Amino acid sequence: MTTPSDIAGIRAAFQADLATVSSEPDLQAVRDRYLGRKRGAVAALMKQVAGAPPEARPALGKGANVLKREIEHALEERRKALRAAARPAGAVDVTLPGRVAPFGRRHPLTLIREQVESIFESWGFEILQGPQVEDDYHNFEALNMPPDHPARDMQDTFYLDGSMPGEGAPATLLRTHTSGMQIRYMERHEPPVRIIAPGLVYRRDTPDLTHSPMFMQVEGLMVDEGITMADLKGTLVGFLKAFFDPGTRVMFRPSFFPYTEPSAEVFISCVFCDGDGGDGCAVCKQTGWLEILGCGMVHPAVFEAVGYDPERYTGWAFGLGIDRVALLKYRVEDIRLFYDNDLRLLEQFPH
Amino acid sequence: MSWLRELVDAPVGVDELADRLTMCGFEVGAVEPWPADPRDPESAPDAVLDLEITTNRPDCLSVLGIAREVATAWGVELRFPPAAAEPDAAGDAIAITIEDADLCPRYSGALAQVTVGPSPPWLARRLEAADVRPINNVVDVTNYVMLELGHPMHAFDLDRLAGPEIRVRRARPGETVRTLDGVDRTLEPDMLAIADAERPQAVAGIMGGAASEVGPGTRTIVLEAAWFDPISVRRTSRRLGLATDASYRFERGADVAAPPAAIRRAHRLLADIGAGTPRGALVDRFPAPPAPVEVRLRHARLGRVLGQTVDKGFVAPALARLGFEPTPAAGDDGAAWRVRVPTFRVDVRREEDLIEEIARHHGYDEIPTTFPALTRPAPPPGAWRARDRLVRRLLTGAGLSEAVTYGFVEEAAARAVHPEPGDVVALRNPLSERGAVLRPSLLPGLVDSVVHNRRRERHEVRLFEIGSRFRRGDGETPALGIAIAGAGAAAHWSASSRAADLFDLTGIIARLCSGFGLEASFEPGPAGHLVAGRRARVHVTTGDARVLLGEAGQLDPAVAAARGMPGSDPVYVAELDLRPLDLGAFDRLRAAPVPRHPSVTRDVSVEIDDALPAARVRDTIRAAAGPTLVEVVEVDRYTGSGVAAGAVSLSLRLTFRAPDRTLTDAEVQRSTDAVLQALAETHHAKQR
Repeated sequence: MTTPSDIAGIRAAFQADLATVSSEPDLQAVRDRYLGRKRGAVAALMKQVAGAPPEARPALGKGANVLKREIEHALEERRKALRAAARPAGAVDVTLPGRVAPFGRRHPLTLIREQVESIFESWGFEILQGPQVEDDYHNFEALNMPPDHPARDMQDTFYLDGSMPGEGAPATLLRTHTSGMQIRYMERHEPPVRIIAPGLVYRRDTPDLTHSPMFMQVEGLMVDEGITMADLKGTLVGFLKAFFDPGTRVMFRPSFFPYTEPSAEVFISCVFCDGDGGDGCAVCKQTGWLEILGCGMVHPAVFEAVGYDPERYTGWAFGLGIDRVALLKYRVEDIRLFYDNDLRLLEQFPH
Repeated sequence: MSWLRELVDAPVGVDELADRLTMCGFEVGAVEPWPADPRDPESAPDAVLDLEITTNRPDCLSVLGIAREVATAWGVELRFPPAAAEPDAAGDAIAITIEDADLCPRYSGALAQVTVGPSPPWLARRLEAADVRPINNVVDVTNYVMLELGHPMHAFDLDRLAGPEIRVRRARPGETVRTLDGVDRTLEPDMLAIADAERPQAVAGIMGGAASEVGPGTRTIVLEAAWFDPISVRRTSRRLGLATDASYRFERGADVAAPPAAIRRAHRLLADIGAGTPRGALVDRFPAPPAPVEVRLRHARLGRVLGQTVDKGFVAPALARLGFEPTPAAGDDGAAWRVRVPTFRVDVRREEDLIEEIARHHGYDEIPTTFPALTRPAPPPGAWRARDRLVRRLLTGAGLSEAVTYGFVEEAAARAVHPEPGDVVALRNPLSERGAVLRPSLLPGLVDSVVHNRRRERHEVRLFEIGSRFRRGDGETPALGIAIAGAGAAAHWSASSRAADLFDLTGIIARLCSGFGLEASFEPGPAGHLVAGRRARVHVTTGDARVLLGEAGQLDPAVAAARGMPGSDPVYVAELDLRPLDLGAFDRLRAAPVPRHPSVTRDVSVEIDDALPAARVRDTIRAAAGPTLVEVVEVDRYTGSGVAAGAVSLSLRLTFRAPDRTLTDAEVQRSTDAVLQALAETHHAKQR
């Protein structure tokens, strides 16, 4: 006797078999098993319906037909799904790695330098380049540091054995700052002056986490009639906010440099602890402030050395260590890493 | 702090005081608690300020100097430490002769009868707080006065001098003195000595001599307070390698008015602690007192420099508290002051120095922030900037990362790549042998960077550096260094790997030059640091000129090994002069019309002498083909079976095009035949 439970049993068995299908041959085997004309389960069911009592036949027949249509529909859907999933001719595995044309990275010091340059360039500053080997006059004397001046101790100097050709006078030392090119620029140009002088400089410091005998510096100089210390503050605050973060706070503190008067040291709110000095911030030593650059109003003696009238012109100058900024901005722990050129470091920076 | 508070009443606690001093230009590095002395029942807990004094303010290397700043900051009175009254004894107690007044314009001396013993605890503790070791009451008093007033002093044992006489004179050739640190020092004739009738007893302004040292048996001392020429003290200190608290102050500039005051203060202290009493009068030799320094300060100028109008009522009182004597002296240019500069302010010589004094005490925070007007357009950027940027773009685009290496290198490393003797510039005072000479080439630094990476399991290394090289002949010139090692192309599943070779390097150089609109040409080169047969000299053609760019090739493995290179994998290096890479070519560029007529290509294959340079074959082809040949490319080179020994099978693709017409097959065939004929006649090539 065929009963409705047989229909339910065939349906359940079909669904279990269908779930195992992963290819078209699998699907054909399932089709044969259920819809085959001779041995298919549905054909067998139909035969049983024919042999059932007349009063039960209409309901059973209807149930068997519904089951047949269901199976046909499910098989067709599955066939479509299998076809859709199949790899078309010429297909490739798109998850394999592509061919990456090799590309290198700019040095982190170059990245910082270019950022600084572009900020000042947008403000009408000219970018200078000058020699790393200098004469004593352009590195020291013209900057109000005569021989035997104690301030020369602040910049312990590498001297050449003898001399080599320099720009104008023979060079006898490695520049301790990029101020020499500013002196040369003023010797050759009348105000107004708006210049930025980036470059490598040398000081006879024993290397450690924060000192390197060679490092990169950028100096700025502005000279015109009516230039004030307020302009210096405004320009540097603008620069530091543009470079670090618009929320950066800036503090000016009196200091001393032989070539500026008044002179200032500039601090920014700590980029690590956001200036609250809390949680034992080791970078700002819990002061909340980081020393970032030195600056001041150009000393009249410097103007006199280059033939500018200090009564008519005033100006400001600043000096910023690119390495120090790079250490802070990229949170590199050791300045010496910038000169190892370890590709594991370099390749973290952009193209 | 208790010492400071003896001289000034600051109405604030120590932390606020430290902050204010810092904002006045005296950075307080630390405030250390200073507990009470258990040996001394009268002592109380105190604090020590650790101050950083800039080189221009020797007057503030003292408690008095800092007290003066505090008095100015809070507008309170400064109390000078008590001094002994001028003794009324007549006649000089000691003969003092200044023989070299250029190095010592002032010398004060006085005698005291002393009983040498330990200092009282309060005095010893104050020295300790300033990192000065207490020795005995007499020496401690001289050090105390130095710390308090800022003026260095010295005490000689009178009985150990050759009579009651002091001579201030330059040393005589060969004179020696054993200084207090026990070292025998030979003086030179330009060094200033403090001598007795016979021999030097001290190096002036730096250190006393052991022979006249004050000790337990001393009964009479000669107190010295003098003013020595800063440059002389600095030079002598440097030459002797001897820096002291005294030399530190003298070389920055002491107060020429201070010597008698220092002696009277010392006399008073000796009496106060029961260590001694003055004997006889104070002798003060000061043959030519300098004229007082006066500086004019204009109120308008103050505003012009600071960008802020400072209240006139602020200026004179602030200056007066700092020890200046301002007198109103209005002129045509408005309000002004004639300001007499105290002798201890050796740093104040002109108007800007006074402006800084006002700005410091008025507060840098008070200065507004303004942005300067642009009064002139900026000139066009220097050509070097566009050049360096394009070099970086082209080379990073070719897979090389930028390196920065030191400007000084080891001498052997420099000579290995630049053997010209005398052209390498040495440093007179290098930090170490590793940086003994200026780099004559960028290669030593780049090779070291390759080695650094190779030793850290990094096989693929492709680096470049833009930088200066230094030669005694050419001076400082801009150069480009390149170093590549490892695979020729990134490992990829689709292809077998290939080691980098010379053609990777020359390809990078060709690409670089091409980026500047220049064509690089290569010929066998002579460079000794490169492997023979794998080294090229590089030229570029600009206009009609052929300019030397540099040398490229495989680095001599011995040079790499000497720098610690692991393994024997080849390193390819190039160093090029950057100056010929000039984007000026593009300023003159006039774009040619895009071709309107199709081109025709023909491949030719010949068997030709393998030793014949490809460049010559190309030259022959260009000359024979005529003007319609626009490109020659080597598409295959093959040696081996089917090709005669010593010969190579060479396939070339020739592209022909005419600007004004479509070339006919016959025209192209004529040109191709001419090429084949020329190759056969010139190089005995056989067509394949």
